[in-house]
Amino acid sequence: MKKRMLAALFGGLVSMAVTAAEYDISVDRVQIDTGDFVKEGIGYNGASPGPILRFKEGEEVTINVTNNLDEMTSIHWHGLILPFEQDGVPGISFPGIKPGETFTYQFPIVQAGTYWFHSHSGFQEPNGAYGAIVIEPEGREPFRYDREYVVQLTDKHPHSGDRIMRNLKMSADYYNRQQQTVGDFFAESGEKGFMAALQDRMMWGDMRMMKADIEDVQGFTGLINGKGPEQNWTGLFEPGERIRLRFINSSAMTYFDVRIPGLEMTVVQADGNNVQPVNVDEFRIGVAETYDVIVRIKDEKAYTIFAESMGRSGYARGTLAPEEGMTAEVPELREAPLLTMADMAGHMDHGGMDHGDMSSDDMADMNRDDTGGDDMAGMDHSAMGHGSMDEGDGASMPEDPFYAKGSGLVPTASNGGKFLSYADLKAQNPLYEHREATREIELRLTGNMERYEWSINGIKYEDADPIVLQYGERVRFKFVNETMMTHPMHLHGMWSILDVGEGKWNPLKHVISVAPATTVYMETEVDAPGEWAFHCHLSYHAASGMFRKIVVEGGPDSTVAEGKQNGTPGGES
Amino acid sequence: MNQILKNALLPAMLLAISSGTYAAGEHGGHHGSDSVGEPGKAENVSRTIDVTMMDNYYEPESISVKPGETIRFRVSNEGALVHEFNIGTAEMHEAHQEEMQMMVEHGVLKGDHIDREMMEMDMGNGHSMKHDDPNSVLMEPGETREIIWTFAEATDLEFACNVPGHYQAGMYGDIDFE
Repeated sequence: MKKRMLAALFGGLVSMAVTAAEYDISVDRVQIDTGDFVKEGIGYNGASPGPILRFKEGEEVTINVTNNLDEMTSIHWHGLILPFEQDGVPGISFPGIKPGETFTYQFPIVQAGTYWFHSHSGFQEPNGAYGAIVIEPEGREPFRYDREYVVQLTDKHPHSGDRIMRNLKMSADYYNRQQQTVGDFFAESGEKGFMAALQDRMMWGDMRMMKADIEDVQGFTGLINGKGPEQNWTGLFEPGERIRLRFINSSAMTYFDVRIPGLEMTVVQADGNNVQPVNVDEFRIGVAETYDVIVRIKDEKAYTIFAESMGRSGYARGTLAPEEGMTAEVPELREAPLLTMADMAGHMDHGGMDHGDMSSDDMADMNRDDTGGDDMAGMDHSAMGHGSMDEGDGASMPEDPFYAKGSGLVPTASNGGKFLSYADLKAQNPLYEHREATREIELRLTGNMERYEWSINGIKYEDADPIVLQYGERVRFKFVNETMMTHPMHLHGMWSILDVGEGKWNPLKHVISVAPATTVYMETEVDAPGEWAFHCHLSYHAASGMFRKIVVEGGPDSTVAEGKQNGTPGGES
Repeated sequence: MNQILKNALLPAMLLAISSGTYAAGEHGGHHGSDSVGEPGKAENVSRTIDVTMMDNYYEPESISVKPGETIRFRVSNEGALVHEFNIGTAEMHEAHQEEMQMMVEHGVLKGDHIDREMMEMDMGNGHSMKHDDPNSVLMEPGETREIIWTFAEATDLEFACNVPGHYQAGMYGDIDFE
């Protein structure tokens, strides 16, 4: 990658000099070697992941993207605030980049933090077309560190994206290796009686879901910066240093629970925006989210960065070490969690039923099977999803307001310590004045697992009208997850202000993860004219219909005129 | 956590805080080379050092003192969040952070607000959540306060903000002995 720095004048009306940087990116066929398998894929500048793009807040960037593939491509700058024609979504922002052509992106950098970029065409992103963006702020940051590393996670699969989509359409549980077996059924019958076990199975069968439906695509190798667990990506440090780790989850489908055994992590940024620092032992990173943490290592030894998938079907592993080649113990994968009745409450009654209506007794009974594994006594998830549902019994029943009460997915730290919750995220320095939303839009997250169709309000993208917003309004989005899967909802072009109940301190994000059977609110200051994508960031959910186009009407006069000239809507709406 | 449980925990927490701060403010003060010094008298002040607290760092980021010197620290919180200026060893700060974590968990300490009423509350056995150690000031945005401190002989001291997460984010500085 060439980076040419020039001082230049921009726009004629702007009289002051702006720093400009120019980048060249080629989109190439590459080999991806995970240590477990070698697979042809797509990368940038000859590699997957692509380069780390380092921008500066306040500069104007020009990025020349050359398509060396024999198919259309595109690059979306995930989380960046920019004119919609530069957002890189074929059919919404622009037509896409044809084979052999070079498309020049140009936009001002108006923010700082950790972000990433990826193709928004077909399944090029799961096939390897992603990279990191690091934006240096204009002013001093509210934290300090001696060195920094990008830690970019992905779930590399031996099958191509197209093949995975075909297989899921053929059979939604094609990649689910953790299905409960006939053996499990008899074990359960022994524990709670044949009829109870049978009834339980029939209920889950009715929903065309299984308790192990946490990850629809298993069989991947977790990568950190392109390296598999055996290849062991290593970041070096000098003892005594404070290290900033910029975690980015570029997975197609996989949430990771991240920890560094022996180190406390201080979360200082979420989705590129500074948050009031929170000390944690472990955190869950949803697909397409970023979290920046600071660790301070005083001793001269190696530490493992361990990222277990939420469904415990795989992991990524790297190392922080004073010297190349030093390693630390790699933990075992913990027992896979199972969904509980609480997680399917939204699904059973399509949002009309409050899961709180279920009596405690029912819940406790239904969840008893969660204790199945003999060796789980006293361990993390054995504490979840069973036991007393009494509110005061906080010790045996981990709670997080962003999971259904009694959910099998509530995460707990492996060392019994602090696990980050969305509820802990508070803006360090709020960007917007807090105000009442002007209106509310309800979005039910819906799906049919058996047909592997995912939708919003029961309607797939191809059949849906765009969501029309007015420039200048503040919209409150109400996500009601009626499925049993967790959906990381990503709005392009405008910030998603996650409602954690803290008013003006509510954090800005670009991905809002919505757990099964929960209702989550976010607000958006509609301050970006044009047409934008809004979708679940799980690749195969987005592709099968959990996607909307957003049209922002109105805006500053100049922008409206511009929009009329350039804003040719694509054919996909 | 339900309200009953919260209330039940409160006295235990207060006990922890008072004993902890006692250790930080007094106990540590008379152990030879571990001495953090002691509260000073105005007439002994040799100079004033202005310290500005920002989100989440200090200006300046290190301070130089002489053994035995008495210094007036004029500390202003120009950030948008609550911050602390606390003189102590790294170990004392670490212990104090656990106490402040409890203050956050019990709602005494919010991002930009200190519930002073709750802090002052008399719990009936002589304990309160007062954060009034002589080696520390805990301040809301916009506040300015002073600490007069007499340093002992040279030792490893830091000034630090022990609001949860702030120290770890880097809000501390060295006190160097000339």
